[in-house]
Amino acid sequence: MIGRLRSQAFETGKFLTDWMEHRTGIVTMTEHFLYEPVPKRGAWLYTLGSATLFCISLQFLTGILLLFYYVPTTDHAWNSIYYIMNDAYFGTLIRGIHYWSANFLLVVIGLHMSQVFFSGGYKAPRELNWVVGVALLLLVIVLAFTGYLLRWDQDGFWASVVGMKIGSYSPFVGGPTIRFLMGGDVIGPSTLSRFFALHVWLLPAALAPLIGIHLYLLRKHGVFGSEFEYSDRLAKLHERERLESYEQYDEDEGEPFTGRRDREDRE
Amino acid sequence: MAELQKDPMTRGDFLGFGILGTIVGAILTIPPAAFVLGPLINSDVRGQSDIPSGPDDWFEVTSISEVPESEPKVFTVDFPVEQVYGKPEIQEESGTSKQEFTVPSAIWLSWEHEINADGTYGQSLRPSFLDDRSDGFSESEIEEIQNSLNVLSSSCAHLGCPVRWLVREGEGEFLCPCHGGIYNINGEYVAGPPPRDMYSYDFEVREDGTVYARHEFDTGGANGPQEPFVI
Repeated sequence: MIGRLRSQAFETGKFLTDWMEHRTGIVTMTEHFLYEPVPKRGAWLYTLGSATLFCISLQFLTGILLLFYYVPTTDHAWNSIYYIMNDAYFGTLIRGIHYWSANFLLVVIGLHMSQVFFSGGYKAPRELNWVVGVALLLLVIVLAFTGYLLRWDQDGFWASVVGMKIGSYSPFVGGPTIRFLMGGDVIGPSTLSRFFALHVWLLPAALAPLIGIHLYLLRKHGVFGSEFEYSDRLAKLHERERLESYEQYDEDEGEPFTGRRDREDRE
Repeated sequence: MAELQKDPMTRGDFLGFGILGTIVGAILTIPPAAFVLGPLINSDVRGQSDIPSGPDDWFEVTSISEVPESEPKVFTVDFPVEQVYGKPEIQEESGTSKQEFTVPSAIWLSWEHEINADGTYGQSLRPSFLDDRSDGFSESEIEEIQNSLNVLSSSCAHLGCPVRWLVREGEGEFLCPCHGGIYNINGEYVAGPPPRDMYSYDFEVREDGTVYARHEFDTGGANGPQEPFVI
């Protein structure tokens, strides 16, 4: 009974997977994204990119949650954050994650960047991925800058004043850029609205497709060697998995010959 | 090379595409660009400011008798910021909120001092008739007061942090907490990164001894005019 159920469930699962694979190619894609042979030496260093992606995902998720209570007006911004921090269920946790993961994000990006730099991962044919990465870094920095003002407290306010005043010294573009950011000639309601618009829509919307391009280019070239090497390694991995399943088959059903003879031939 | 265009383009086609492209491009880009660049158009092209700073827009700071003889004192003025939803017409139209949108500005008032060659402060130039009276000044007295009063913006001329008055060994100075810019009691540059003296407000003293300020600054100084991003 249990055995039949199991085999039925297995059949259904296989049918659904095949159906999806046939129409979207999602299984091959997932395989391509998940299975990447990495060298044993220094394997933890290769997780820095994923760590960055993880922090950014956290920013997106907690940011969406914070939007349920945050109000971007000069008379309510501070109060709404006070509400989040003191009254809302788990508000301290959600905002704390948003705040701290933003801080960690910048640290992890720095580590990720230095790992790529010192291992020479920016060299041909991966130069464009480095360029996209730098664009991502700049976007994240502007996100951090615009997020600071949204708190509308003394800290964020004066940090933004100083930041904008630094920018205002740039020749020719400085003045207009800062007036564009401030939405006038002094910091006020317009500044808060603009920083809010940049922080929650414009910059994330620019960030997301760039992350997609970054990952696509990463997968196109692989982290270690060319596409050819990659498929080569993947083929070996599949072969090993096949052999293991043969052995399993052998043990379960007691049918002797194929797997074993195969393997002996090979060795 | 990839072949994008199968048929060669004639000159007429080229012209047509050019004109059509310009029209469609303008329709697609001008409205959103003007929408987000509105404040730039208002302040740079039409010369508007978000803080009323016309000839009649004076805001009360304090009474002249409140200014100590030999050290500065800080006062806060709430200049109304008339940006976006904070504009008075809109507030009036909605009727639901009468709140005025302000960003408090700190203003330091001090009496001008003579500065000795070694940087120490000499005599205060505070008019002596202030000892007896605090209002009912004549025009020449007002003139004298205005010539010896410093009305300084608390924003450091370097990067805009608020300066504070620090007294050390009997001598005070304005110190910026961010990068250590130092100014003397008259707001003149002494040391540190600032490129010029502190910004001073446009101000006037009236007959009853009240100081009024306008959101206008002197933009000159030793290093020429700078755009006043004094917040």
